[in-house]
Amino acid sequence: MTTTHTFEYKPGEPPADARGEYDDDPIHGEVMQLNMGPQHPATHGVLQLQLELDGELMRNINAVVGFLHRGKEKTCESLGWAKFFPHTDRLDYVQPLMNNVGYALALEQLAGIEVPERGQVIRVLLMEVSRIASHLIYLGTTGIDLGAVTMFFNTFKEREKIYNVLDAYTGHRMNNTYVRIGGVYSDVDTSVEGMLREFLQQFEAQVDEFESLLTSNRIWYDRNRNVGVITQEQAMAWSLTGPNMRGTGIEWDLRKTQPYSGYEDYDFEVPVGTIGDCYDRYLVRVEEMRQSTKIALQALDRLADSRGADVLAEDRRYILPPRQLVQSSMEELIHQFKIVTDLRLPRGEAYFGIESSKGELGFLVASDGTSDPLRCHIRAPGLMNVQIIPLLAEGRLFSDMVALIGSLDFVMGEVDR
Amino acid sequence: MSSTVTPAGTPAVDTEAIAAALEGITTKWITTPDGIPTVELPVERVHEALTRLKTNAEFEFCTLVTAIDHFPASPRFQVIWQLLSLARNQRVRVYARPSDDDAVVATCTDLWPGAAFSERECFDMFGIRFAGHVNLRRLLMPDGYDHHPLRKDFPHQGIQPDRLYREWDAERRGQWESEKDGGSQ
Amino acid sequence: MGSLTPADAQVDGGFFATKTEAFINWGRKNSLWPMPLGLSCCGIELMAMLGPKFDLARFGAEAARFSPRQCDLLIIAGTMTWKMAQAVRLTYDQMPDPKWVIAMGVCSSSGGMYDSYAVVQGADSILPVDVYVPGCPPRPDAVIDALLKLQSRIEREHPLKRVFGDFSGPEGDEGTGEQTHQPNFGLGTSHLDAHPHTPSHVNEENKQR
Repeated sequence: MTTTHTFEYKPGEPPADARGEYDDDPIHGEVMQLNMGPQHPATHGVLQLQLELDGELMRNINAVVGFLHRGKEKTCESLGWAKFFPHTDRLDYVQPLMNNVGYALALEQLAGIEVPERGQVIRVLLMEVSRIASHLIYLGTTGIDLGAVTMFFNTFKEREKIYNVLDAYTGHRMNNTYVRIGGVYSDVDTSVEGMLREFLQQFEAQVDEFESLLTSNRIWYDRNRNVGVITQEQAMAWSLTGPNMRGTGIEWDLRKTQPYSGYEDYDFEVPVGTIGDCYDRYLVRVEEMRQSTKIALQALDRLADSRGADVLAEDRRYILPPRQLVQSSMEELIHQFKIVTDLRLPRGEAYFGIESSKGELGFLVASDGTSDPLRCHIRAPGLMNVQIIPLLAEGRLFSDMVALIGSLDFVMGEVDR
Repeated sequence: MSSTVTPAGTPAVDTEAIAAALEGITTKWITTPDGIPTVELPVERVHEALTRLKTNAEFEFCTLVTAIDHFPASPRFQVIWQLLSLARNQRVRVYARPSDDDAVVATCTDLWPGAAFSERECFDMFGIRFAGHVNLRRLLMPDGYDHHPLRKDFPHQGIQPDRLYREWDAERRGQWESEKDGGSQ
Repeated sequence: MGSLTPADAQVDGGFFATKTEAFINWGRKNSLWPMPLGLSCCGIELMAMLGPKFDLARFGAEAARFSPRQCDLLIIAGTMTWKMAQAVRLTYDQMPDPKWVIAMGVCSSSGGMYDSYAVVQGADSILPVDVYVPGCPPRPDAVIDALLKLQSRIEREHPLKRVFGDFSGPEGDEGTGEQTHQPNFGLGTSHLDAHPHTPSHVNEENKQR
């Protein structure tokens, strides 16, 4: 019984009853202005959605962002290139290591540094584990928002296992900041490898369990099927990337098309949806978790093969020398001093886009040759994901909003930066 | 096994399609370390160039719209558009420099609606106006905010207390004072 | 035995009042209903704390209601920006008394690593904070520790003071009084972080025996 009206995106227009749309319908009643304010459990962060409710249908949605704008791009200009790494963690804070790697890759491109192979393998491993962690958050929070409370506990149980591994390896559960220009801070030892392998080997069975709870669940299907349908043209026009784009059927994954960090040598598939609704995006993400497990296990095998190799490049212009050398050699001490206080990248601009769990996360770094960065722009996939909410929600039932927000999967840390 | 960081974009930079699409517009080609073909265009021809890139050279995806402030150099603003062609797996970057005192650039939301938020952010952070944008309001800072934070002459710690915060703070303090004096909390 | 009225009250109100207060405090501290204001990364650790491994429900704080009207503990988890500050203050104002605030993480304690134009340098600029938890993000154990500290602080409160007035003990109402809702204005937090005051009626009772 829901009539879907033709959508015309007219931001800034006066509300529907002021437009006189219901003048000839005396019993229609007024529209209700509703504010899904920045503090809300289901907006997945501090997003404000101002909308009008025409009965149960939504009209004139206005997405207000900026409640978590911390001035990161400005901060980079005053802090310096190397000191900005902790800030990149906190961009998309459910997958901190992925953001680290993206930023490091952009800087390495500008500086012309090559990462040693073992460093690349560790980066791939950390990135895929972060992707799994991010999709677990998607499953858990979208599940609990739509009523499947068990999913929250299941996925956070798995996330705790990832946290254990990262805690043992990097020293911190979240916001690890373990990536440096030129590689990774330090090597993975065999105990961490063992923990990771143990986690990954049991994880596929867990994904099967999650699917058994949700995929053929009548309620989950009804709440997600044909909700938030994005066509391929819309995905291209609205700059969507990642699972949101792949759910529509466009097969575009930067790990395959513009590979980095050795992704061209790994064997994995890219799941693609058919109609681009919430259910398709759910299936894409679940399958991506499986593929990430596959890639991570391959990376672990490569780590076993290359024990003892370097994980950090050697370039005394950008990368800190080892501690023992700093304390024994004058030249290395000077290098360390210069890198810490006066790190300069060559003049120029470089952009690097990686396939993060939300889409194309890109860093456009511009340097004028001095130690103060000229510009570090963060191309956040979440910004585009939020932008499309008014388009998808117009004319739909209000309860679809929760399904939409969950399935578009954005994190306000990167939307607002 | 590869051990090099593959730059984004195809290794052999093929700029024929881009050059063909931009024929007639005076372009200045810039080489960048990331291998993405970069052109600088006169600001009044940018919209035409972007339209041609979209229709003729298949750049149907707009990755980002942003700007750099080169203060105190003049012209200070450098607006950057970066496009992506899925069919040819290629990126292209377009620069334009609007004038300092009245920085206005044509919007590209008619070509790519997804650039709306990016352009609003440029306006918010730099003060660059996009002519033709239907909803050019601030995106990240509150609506009545006076300054443009990413300009180089704006201090990193902000200008505290700003007018908006001062007003809100004063209103709140008045309320707290009255609570302290008289009523129950 | 003391009586209730201030006129002939013994120190701190006497037996009946103190036992009632202890009972009220016991009830309040073991049923703190958190209002998770998950703003950024600390919000994920907050969710982990409500999750299976660190189970905040063990401490009675299970009912994490998202409506401020139904909560008494506001956990500000994440960076508060000036744009968000108004919403946070509104949320705090909507919470009914008694209410407590935990500033989780360094961003809400002091602005954290963000000394920028958009970030409030500490939630105590706009509302009174009871416990600060450092960390970026703090481990869920640290926040549970903060909750336990808050519980031990609630034990020392005097909820009947509002009804029966000030039972002026030898130290007056300094420090252990009913909650003050004055914001900090950045003047330091010493008035909120009171030294524990052992109720002297305990000693009195022991002496009387």
